[in-house]
Amino acid sequence: MTLVEAHGITKSFGDQTVLRGVDFTAERGTATVLLGPSGSGKTTILRSLNVLETPDAGRVRIGDAAVDFDDLPRDKAARRRQIAALRACSGMVFQSHHLFPHKTALGNLLEGPVQVQGRPVDEATADARQLLERVGLAGREDAYPSQLSGGQQQRVGIARALALKPEVLLLDEPTSALDPELVGEVLAVVRDLAADGWTMLIVTHEVRFARDVADQVLFLDGGVVAERGGAEVLTDPREERTRRFLSRVLEAG
Amino acid sequence: MSRPPSAVRLLLLLVATALLTAVGAVPVQAAGQDRAAADGERRVVRVGTEGTYPPFTFTDPETDELTGYDIEVMKAVGERAGWDLRFTQGTFDALFPALDAERIDVIANQVTINDEREARYLFTQPYTFSRGVIVTASDTDDITSLADLKGRTTAQSETSNWAQVARDAGADVQSVEGFGPAAELLVQGRVDAIVNDNIAVLDYLASTGSDEIKIAGDAGEEVSRQALVFRQGDEALRDEADAALRELAADGTLAEISEDYFGADVSVENDADLDVAGSDSGRSRWDVVRDAAWPMLRGALVGTIPLTVISFVAGLALALALALARLSGVRLLDWPARAYVSLIRGTPLLVQLFIVFYGLGQVGLKLPSFAAACLALSLNVAGYAAEVIRASILSVPRGQFEAATTIGMDSWQTMRRIVLPQASRIAVPPLGNTLLSLIKDTALASVVLAPELFRAAQDAAALSTEYLPLYCFAALYYWVICYLVSLAQQPLERRLGRYAV
Repeated sequence: MTLVEAHGITKSFGDQTVLRGVDFTAERGTATVLLGPSGSGKTTILRSLNVLETPDAGRVRIGDAAVDFDDLPRDKAARRRQIAALRACSGMVFQSHHLFPHKTALGNLLEGPVQVQGRPVDEATADARQLLERVGLAGREDAYPSQLSGGQQQRVGIARALALKPEVLLLDEPTSALDPELVGEVLAVVRDLAADGWTMLIVTHEVRFARDVADQVLFLDGGVVAERGGAEVLTDPREERTRRFLSRVLEAG
Repeated sequence: MSRPPSAVRLLLLLVATALLTAVGAVPVQAAGQDRAAADGERRVVRVGTEGTYPPFTFTDPETDELTGYDIEVMKAVGERAGWDLRFTQGTFDALFPALDAERIDVIANQVTINDEREARYLFTQPYTFSRGVIVTASDTDDITSLADLKGRTTAQSETSNWAQVARDAGADVQSVEGFGPAAELLVQGRVDAIVNDNIAVLDYLASTGSDEIKIAGDAGEEVSRQALVFRQGDEALRDEADAALRELAADGTLAEISEDYFGADVSVENDADLDVAGSDSGRSRWDVVRDAAWPMLRGALVGTIPLTVISFVAGLALALALALARLSGVRLLDWPARAYVSLIRGTPLLVQLFIVFYGLGQVGLKLPSFAAACLALSLNVAGYAAEVIRASILSVPRGQFEAATTIGMDSWQTMRRIVLPQASRIAVPPLGNTLLSLIKDTALASVVLAPELFRAAQDAAALSTEYLPLYCFAALYYWVICYLVSLAQQPLERRLGRYAV
């Protein structure tokens, strides 16, 4: 069953066009890896799905929520409601975590469920503790982000995104800002989530990791999807530019 | 005849409460309520006086009550006329504007009858007769008459008629607030002479025991007459006062009051040698400071501290609104906020105070002193704090806004739950500086007659002329308050920054 659907997404910043009509779908329970050279628009695609960037044109659907950027409601409130409904379907993990520094690990997880979704504090707290345990942070509930290592911070970031029980998890280069020795613990958590059947869209440069988890690979170049397929795209790409990119990344890694 | 600044004491608590319940709302027309109350019972008459001009009008350090020759005469008139008197204190220079602005109904403050004033105001019959004298340092012997003042420098209250007398005699007039400071200038050799009425001078000599200055001669032949002053158009009120004064003169009450204060009857026109009873004689410097300690502390408690708290809270609220307006990206909000901040930061607080107190009064917005001071200080604080808050909000990383957005927060939740808590940590040190400035700026409220710490110090100084110890004492009070505030700042910073490494 198709959970995520993007159609004809275009986006320019000033006179620089970043996305030139991106189409793709993602099935429920699959992990989609977005690859591509820097500037290819991978991150912008992710940010278009939760409207951190507003596409110039195109259509996005996640589950029952859809926004048609060619035909946004005139009424501001209606537009806001539509976008909010789409956002509620996804959780986002940022490259540099963006945890709330003034909240504890637990507080970071509670903010969305309690303040936005209005869930009872007791229930949300129980869930949040479970999530922290799941990402290997049992006992660190009361630590502030500044008291955690980079890998721990990112795992709290993942748990925060999960706390909202989204339909799909968006991960924007979740390990790029980490010291090499901390990458493994974060990727292990993501692997577990994939195994548990979470629908995920992951922007990453970790090709080996991508091979493990990817059900679908989208290779972006020049603002379009240059190649798409299963995990085999990572081992045996059809396109020359995909091949070149992979060999560069693997050499560097 | 005009002494250091003074203050509106009576409206204070009422206004403070009103302001606390409605910070930001503008309380209007406390005066109107007095009028309304008058219908039922005795007529309320608001009396303006300095309260810092012994022995005519001053606060008795023993009883802490307003008294003096003029005050007792006024009370006798009020009793005779069946009025309910409400005394209001202000500097001499502020009394006439207050009368014009209908903040008060009558001035009881040794106001001398002259042509200029008679053209604008209504006088009762005189209750004091005095003559002008020239005062010099004891070792000056070349000034004995008005003619000798030509080319000399005298110290005078600018609006008192003695300033004009001195100027007419060719003297260069230095403005001062009151006879005490004028005498001080004389002793220090900064001016050559003072022209004043004999009663005040004799009182000064008796109360201070000073032998450093002397009466050097008469300032002309003329006897001046002092009377109660009413507003043009208040003939009925003036006539009632006149009738009362006539009765009081006839039955000897006036003479009795005068004897109490001067040992002579100054309420009739004769040239009695005055044996002036000092209101302060025998008080040592230590006594003066000790007696002023409580009035100053009270000034801090009912004036300085409430002024600071109310103005800071109201100012911060307005500052936050201004900061958000500037950050809104909406030009219609941004530009007025920008202009406001520029105006507030580009003009003197003293001028802002005068605009709010005297200026707005002329266009129908008559705020009581305390409310006017609160309003002006709040507006001022807002101008400075707005930029601090804006910069603090801008210092919160963009990723925080994005993270809040992705967990579904709207912009208000983002601001309240995520951005402001982080911004407040950054804003506390500079806002602490704003608060310390504000505490000290409240002293300016004394010039719009609001009762506070510095007013109390000026009152005590006017009475005793012990400027150095009293003003140092006042400075000590300010320092203590500021020190306590700065002590509280550190735990607050620690608490707000508890999450930081």
